[in-house]
Amino acid sequence: MLTKLTGGRIYDPAHQIDGKIMDIYIRDGRIVERPRADEAIDTEYDIRGKVVMAGAIDMHTHIGGGKVNIARTMLPEDHRGDPVAHNEVCRSGCGHAVPSTLTTGYRYAEMGYTAGFEPALLPVNARQSHLEMADTPIIDKGGYAMIGSDDYFLRMLAAKKDQNAINDYVAWILQASQCIGLKVVNPGGISAFKFNQRWLDVDEQHVHYQITPREILKTLSRAVYELGIAKPLHVHGNNLGVPGNVGTTLKTMDTVEGYPLHLTHIQFHSYGAEGDRKFSSGAAAIAEALNKNKNISADVGQILFGQTVTASGDNMRQFANAGLGSPRKSVIMDIECDAGCGIVPFKYKDENFVNALQWAIGLEIFLLSEDPWRIFLTTDHPNGAPFTTYPHLIRLLMDKNFRNEAFASLNLDAQAMSTLTSIDREYSLYEIAIMTRAGAAKLVGLHDRGHLGIGGAADITVYTDDPDREKMFTTPDYVFKDGELVVRNGKVVKVTWGATHVTRPEFDRSIEKDLKQYFDKYHTMNMENFKVNENEIADGGRGKIIVQEAKGRREKTV
Amino acid sequence: MSALTFTLKSPAQQRIDLSPLTPDKLAGKSIADIGAILLQSGKTKLRTDEVFAISGDDSNGIVFDNANHKLDYIGSGMKSGKITINGGAGSYLGFQMKKGEIILNGDADAFAASGMADGFIHIKGNVGDFLGAAYFGERKGMKGGTVLVTGNAGERAGDQMRRGLILIEGNVGAYCASRMLAGTIGILGNTGEYLGYGMRRGTLLVTKTPDLHATIQDCGTHTLPFLNLMFKSFAALPSKFSKINQNRVQRYAGDLANDGKGEILVLQ
Repeated sequence: MLTKLTGGRIYDPAHQIDGKIMDIYIRDGRIVERPRADEAIDTEYDIRGKVVMAGAIDMHTHIGGGKVNIARTMLPEDHRGDPVAHNEVCRSGCGHAVPSTLTTGYRYAEMGYTAGFEPALLPVNARQSHLEMADTPIIDKGGYAMIGSDDYFLRMLAAKKDQNAINDYVAWILQASQCIGLKVVNPGGISAFKFNQRWLDVDEQHVHYQITPREILKTLSRAVYELGIAKPLHVHGNNLGVPGNVGTTLKTMDTVEGYPLHLTHIQFHSYGAEGDRKFSSGAAAIAEALNKNKNISADVGQILFGQTVTASGDNMRQFANAGLGSPRKSVIMDIECDAGCGIVPFKYKDENFVNALQWAIGLEIFLLSEDPWRIFLTTDHPNGAPFTTYPHLIRLLMDKNFRNEAFASLNLDAQAMSTLTSIDREYSLYEIAIMTRAGAAKLVGLHDRGHLGIGGAADITVYTDDPDREKMFTTPDYVFKDGELVVRNGKVVKVTWGATHVTRPEFDRSIEKDLKQYFDKYHTMNMENFKVNENEIADGGRGKIIVQEAKGRREKTV
Repeated sequence: MSALTFTLKSPAQQRIDLSPLTPDKLAGKSIADIGAILLQSGKTKLRTDEVFAISGDDSNGIVFDNANHKLDYIGSGMKSGKITINGGAGSYLGFQMKKGEIILNGDADAFAASGMADGFIHIKGNVGDFLGAAYFGERKGMKGGTVLVTGNAGERAGDQMRRGLILIEGNVGAYCASRMLAGTIGILGNTGEYLGYGMRRGTLLVTKTPDLHATIQDCGTHTLPFLNLMFKSFAALPSKFSKINQNRVQRYAGDLANDGKGEILVLQ
C-alpha cells in the first residue's frame, strides 16, 4: 500500500524545511523515500497549494487520570451543555471543558493533533489514567509520572540517600507507571499542605521532612538527566497564581544548577505585585530568563475567556482558590498520601481585571520568548481553556491586528498594565510548526514523531492556507495517523487507536526489596499490583506500547 | 388571531422532547416553518407536523390539545407568552422557565418547575415527584415564580428549592421540602414522612399537624402579622389559598441537623 501526497508546501522544522514544495510517500504507516518509477501508487492525494505539517503534539494536556474523572463527575452541566451525537464512525459523547475520552480523541484529531501527553499521572493512579487514555481514540498518548510529594521519595531525601538510589527509584517509578517523563507539582507543597502549611516557597522547609523544594528540584532534575531521559523534569512550580510569584519562578530556574528543566503553564507563575491592585505582569522578566538560560524550556498555559475547570495536583493552591470557583464548588483531596488533587471550576472573563491581565501575560510570554524550540503552545487543558481553543490561540499569535482588537475589548485597567500592543511580533507557520510539532517531539523524546523525514511515522496534517489562521487550524483538509486517513475536512472518517509512548531507563532491580517492605508496611496496595503491566495497555491488541530511547546512565557532566 | 394549536395526532410511542415549542422560540414563524422543526424522541428525530396537527397563528398563546404524559419539556426555558395544555404533560414541565404562564388541564409527571426562575404554572391535576426540585447534579431547584397545584404532589416536592412559591391544595408525598434552601411551600392536604428533611431555610405552611422527625423542634404558638400580608398576596389566585385569613400558627424550626433556620408553620 503506497500513498502519495502530491505537491504540498512542507513545513518540517526538524529538517529545516520552511515551505518547500515536495511530495511525500507513505508505506505501512511510515514516510518512505520516492519509490522506483515502476512502482504503482495506490492512492494519490493532490494537495497542491496546501500546507503540510507533521501531526501536532500537545505536550501538556490533562486527558486521563483521577482528577479529570472527578472534574467530569463534578460538572454535569458541562456535559449536558455540550452533547455530541454519534455518527457512522464516531460514538456519542459530551463535554466542553472536560470532554469524555472518546470525544477528546475525536476533537484532537479533527484539529490535526496526533498525540497528547497527560502531565500529572500519579503512579498510584496509573492504571486508571492508562485505562482512560486507552479509551481516547486516534491520538498517541503518554504520561509524566508525578512524584516529589510522595512519602517514599521525601523519606529518601530526608535521609540524605545517595543520588544513585534516587535515580533507581525514579527509573522504577517510570517503569511501574508506564510513563515517558517525570513531573513535580508544587515541589513538597502537596505534602506540606497535609502538615498544615499553606505556603511553601523554594527555600522554605517542609515542617515534617525538613527538606526544601530547592533540594527536591535539584535532586530530581539531576536524576532525570543522569538516567538519560529525554524529557526534562516537568515542573509545576510553587506559588501558582500568587501575585508576585515571578520571584519564585526565577528562583526555581536556579535550583537545577544547569540541569534541563521544563517549567509548565508558566503564565500562572509570571505575576508581579505592582500597581494599584498589587497584580502585574512579570512576563518580561520571565521571557528574559528563558532567553538567557538555554537549559530551561516552558509551555505557556494560556488562558482564554469562557467557562472551564481547573484540575491540578496542587491541593495547596487549589485550596486557596476554591472560593473563586464558578460555579461555586470544588474538590480538594488527598490521594493515598502520595499526592493531592484539587478541582475548581472557573470562568475567565474579559471584563475582569485579573483574568484580562492573565490573558495578556500569557501572550506576552509567547511573543517575548525568542526561541520557539523552548516555548510550547498549551492552554494547560482544561485549566486555562479547553484544547479546542488552540486554533483561536494560534490566530492570536499569528495575527497582530486580531490580537490588538481582542486586547482593545479587555478590562481597561488591565489594558493599562500591559505592553502587549507594543509587541509587533507575529509567529510564522514555521515557528508554529516548531512549537506544536518538531519542538514538542524533541522535548518529549519522540524520535519518530513531529517530523516528516524518511522513516518517520506518517502522522501528517494537511491544511488549506487561509489568512484566517483560526479557520485554517480548526478544519484541516486531511489528517493521517500512522499512514491512515483519519480526518477529512475537519471530520473524523476513520477511528484508529494510537500507541502509548514510554521510556525505560535501566535501574538496579534490588531496590524492590526495600520498596516491597515499604509497600507492605504503609501502602494501600501490594507492590506487584501497583505496577502497571504492559499487557494491560496492549488491551488485546487495541493499544500498544512504543518504548522511546533513554540514553543510558551518565555521570554529572553539565 | 387564534391561538397556535398543536393537536397530538396519535398517542406517542416514545417520549418526545417539546422544548423547541415555546412562544418565544416560535414567534414570527409560519406554520410550515414550525412543522419542519425537529423534535428529539428517543434516539430519533421527528418533524413537528408528523407528531401534531398544527393550526392557528398566535404564537404568544400556544395550546397543546390531546396531550399526554409522553410529552416532556413543555415550556422548557420559555421567556414569554402562555401555554395551555389540555390532557396531560410529561416530565420537566416548565423546566428552567424564565417567564410566562403555563396552564395544565390535567396531570404532570416528575420534575415539573425544576429550575424555574420566574413565571406562573397552574397544574389543575396531580403532579409527580420532584416538583420544583433541582435537576440531576444541580445544587439549586426552583429559583423563583409561582406554582399552583390543585391536586396532589409526589415525593420530594421542593427538594433544594431556592426561592419562589409552591402552593399545593392536595396531599404531598414523603420528603417534602427536603434540603430546601429558601422559598415558601403551602400545603392544604396531608403531608408525608420526613417533612422538611435537611431543610436549611425557607417556610412551610401546612394546615394539619404533621409527623415530624427528631431534628425539627416545636417553638410554640405565635401570632405572625406577616402572614396577613402573605395571604393578601394570594388573594388573586384561582385557588383555595385565596380564602385563608388567619395568622395564629404553631411554629416548628428545623432541620436542626442542617442549620435549622427553616420553619414549619401549622395554621391553628
